[in-house]
Amino acid sequence: MKIDCHSHVNGRKQNWGWDNNDRLIDASDKLGIDKLCCSIPITSDMPKPDEVKICNDDVLECMKRYPDRILGYCFVNPGYEKESIMEIERCVIKHGMMGIKLYNQFKCSDPVVYPIAEKAIELGIPILEHAGYIMDPEQASGQPNLSHAGDFAILAKKYPEAMLIEAHVGGGGDWEWAIKSLRHSPNVYLDTSGSVIDEGIIEMAVRELGVERLLFGTDMTMEGGVGKVLGAKITESQRESIFWKNMQVILDKKRI
Amino acid sequence: MVIDINAYIGHWPFRQLRNNTPEGLLRLMDENSIDKAMVSSINAIFYRNSQAGNEELSDWTKNYHDRFIPFATLNPKYAEWKDDLKKCYEAYGMIGIRMFPHYHNYKLYQDEGLEMVEFATEMDMAISVPIRLEDRRQRHWLDNVNDLPLSDIESAIRACPEASFMILNGRGFESSSLFRDENLKNKKFIIDISRLSVVLQREIPKLIELAGISKIAFGTGIPFNYPNPALLKAKILDVPEQDKEALLWCNALGIIES
Repeated sequence: MKIDCHSHVNGRKQNWGWDNNDRLIDASDKLGIDKLCCSIPITSDMPKPDEVKICNDDVLECMKRYPDRILGYCFVNPGYEKESIMEIERCVIKHGMMGIKLYNQFKCSDPVVYPIAEKAIELGIPILEHAGYIMDPEQASGQPNLSHAGDFAILAKKYPEAMLIEAHVGGGGDWEWAIKSLRHSPNVYLDTSGSVIDEGIIEMAVRELGVERLLFGTDMTMEGGVGKVLGAKITESQRESIFWKNMQVILDKKRI
Repeated sequence: MVIDINAYIGHWPFRQLRNNTPEGLLRLMDENSIDKAMVSSINAIFYRNSQAGNEELSDWTKNYHDRFIPFATLNPKYAEWKDDLKKCYEAYGMIGIRMFPHYHNYKLYQDEGLEMVEFATEMDMAISVPIRLEDRRQRHWLDNVNDLPLSDIESAIRACPEASFMILNGRGFESSSLFRDENLKNKKFIIDISRLSVVLQREIPKLIELAGISKIAFGTGIPFNYPNPALLKAKILDVPEQDKEALLWCNALGIIES
């Protein structure tokens, strides 16, 4: 059993490099991934509420098309507070999405994110936010509001009931820095996704954070995502926790 | 049989590696049913006199010639590298050279770099070129080099069409002349699968459609990387058994014997 906590589907606003969302299901079948938690974030600029709605409608369409396989995160731009809250209620309460997706429009420690965190706590759902501690200045300059583990620690301390997921430890720069920075933030989970498949990354995260805070993800690096968890020197019970049990515990906390 | 064309032994200055000794790498290979690995010294990249790293590598691998296929690492801007390369070939049995133009600050297709490509080719040595060793996003503040552009390798192949290249840790081949230009496509080079996908983006199946299986070889990047992603790709790649054998070992042997 595997639940991918960080994936994406194609939609009108984003094409991630494959021709048809059936490819995602085919890939998951080949790799034994049972469920994928998907979103369509807009990865540049400050998307307006009508653009955000198009993204979420396309995720909802995929949830209908692939029932029991695709679960949905509601993407919002926290800069539009009222509209974001309404969109979360529409997608989660009315249409059954399982979480909230934030990208790099604001750092997660920015007060503009507080109402989103409070809504997530109210609904008992996680927030998955794009993240990284980018060491290369040229690449870092492209995402000035990219959240890093220290930002997650700030939000986590303010809202200890929130379930925060820091995205792609394997795609966000210095992963050793990220793991160490989350030591004292027990309500921040780390997703294992990203294209970096450095040997030892999973073991260090287990050692520093405890296995219960790790969530299997691919972020579209499918073989790498599965392979790094398979390759880690951990017990089979720990592997199972990462592959699906920890995420299932989060999904079961949804209040509506 | 499985031959990994993308493996290393030694100390990486910017992150602690595990399994980076000969015994550690062998253990990792055994655990993952990898029979042989083409290895070079990480130390040799960073020593001013890289030959000292090659001597270490020779010493480390001399008892494991059935498992390790050692490759030399040299800087073509350093003193008497031709003598060193000859010694690597003749005395240490190194049948290839791994070149790091981005770390040693030269162009693969010009001047000293091209001279090394040509000299190695005259000695029937294969030329292995890693596009990167780590993701740039996590680079150490002292590790200030960018990924090698594929166009540099294209230029090197054009400049020395007899050379046999092994391109490691690369991506973006679908749009590269290596797979689009009929003249280049027929030259002697293989690429490893360590950063390419079988499913979803389907980079490997698309490259096979463009140029056939003969250009694709098994490579993991151990001990930098977990070997499992590459093993998983080889397992789920939907090709005839003969093509899978080509990917897992025949193409690797083919390029060093060519």
